[in-house]
Amino acid sequence: MILRLTLSNFLIGAFILILWMSFDTFAHGVDETTRHFLVNNSGVKMIPFMYIGAKHMVTGYDHLLFLIGVLFFLHRSKDVLLYVSMFTLGHSITLMTGVLANIEVNAYLIDAIIGLSVIYKGFDNLGGFKRYLGTQPNLRAVVLIFGLFHGFGLATKIQEFNLPSEGMVSNLIAFNLGVELGQFFALMFILLVINVWRRYQSFYQFSTATNTALMSAGFMLVGMQLTGYFIS
Amino acid sequence: MEQNLQSRSLVKATIISVVIAIFALILFILPAEYNIDPTGVGTVLGLTVFNEQPKAAAVIKAEDDQGAVLITIPAGRGIEYKLAMKQFEKVSYQWHTNTGQVYVDLHGEPKGDTSGYFESYTIAVVDTMKGSFTAPFEGSHGWYWKNKTDKAIDVQLTFSGQYIIEGVK
Repeated sequence: MILRLTLSNFLIGAFILILWMSFDTFAHGVDETTRHFLVNNSGVKMIPFMYIGAKHMVTGYDHLLFLIGVLFFLHRSKDVLLYVSMFTLGHSITLMTGVLANIEVNAYLIDAIIGLSVIYKGFDNLGGFKRYLGTQPNLRAVVLIFGLFHGFGLATKIQEFNLPSEGMVSNLIAFNLGVELGQFFALMFILLVINVWRRYQSFYQFSTATNTALMSAGFMLVGMQLTGYFIS
Repeated sequence: MEQNLQSRSLVKATIISVVIAIFALILFILPAEYNIDPTGVGTVLGLTVFNEQPKAAAVIKAEDDQGAVLITIPAGRGIEYKLAMKQFEKVSYQWHTNTGQVYVDLHGEPKGDTSGYFESYTIAVVDTMKGSFTAPFEGSHGWYWKNKTDKAIDVQLTFSGQYIIEGVK
């Protein structure tokens, strides 16, 4: 118990540290040093690309909000693994094909759809679809489809840099691996917090508020990205 | 697994989430991200600071100052990077693209001119260029790059001399 407590304390500390570190980055934004590296890089650089991928995921709050939504009511490890795999499968497919096939999608629109995925999951968690459609849409399919869009989001960000084709495939695979690592890392914290919270009555008392807040954050993302789309 | 709210609670939750989002967008997010500030709250809070043109930085007067900047020219668009220079001030420069050739027009516009007149010093389609120029008149001098491809082009520009940075236009 003591060991466990210390571990949680450590993880929570690390979590706060990461939150603090991510203040200088915006969702999907690539900071100056990374930009400099990406533009001047040539050839295969596995570890740096993995790092960028991981950092991107850990500091990409729109991805994280969606994951929070998905994980909110999942407590069986089997379910967690299943849905996270669907999400991973989805975004890996579009990240790789998007960049390699040079499919350019407007980043604002993709990010708006990612915001929509957050709203969707918040509404779903409140039981909205069950209430109005009579049934909950197949969550596996939904997570996979939104995963595809999240992958396009990642792809558009990578494409903005016109990476040299030399070593592109290896670098992309490294980036994708980094994204998975970052996601795994982020998931650990999200699960930790949710699972600890779930033990308390307040989790259920505040679950409506939490999911309402999630939806609200989704609406903010959509509003922000659509505004960006229309004024750019 | 998930909750089962009554329709009324659902509608309430949705409306609350939208209202909060609209408030946050109008008061904080849009002013900070895009300088859209219909209420003026963003300015009062100092949130529009992210979008201010780098006027303050431009005031720094430089004797043979050095500058380096990475400029991204979106697909199908043109971008200007300008320096304010007095008559006979001189700037040396060097730039290159990350991918292929780009149309460039190095030119100057006299200060205070509103007629749209400009004088071109160099017009070319190249992927790199190095040189220097002396301002024939006081005004705004610099580069216009036009990206005619369907992909963004990055231009790495370095320059030194006497100037005040006006930046991307």
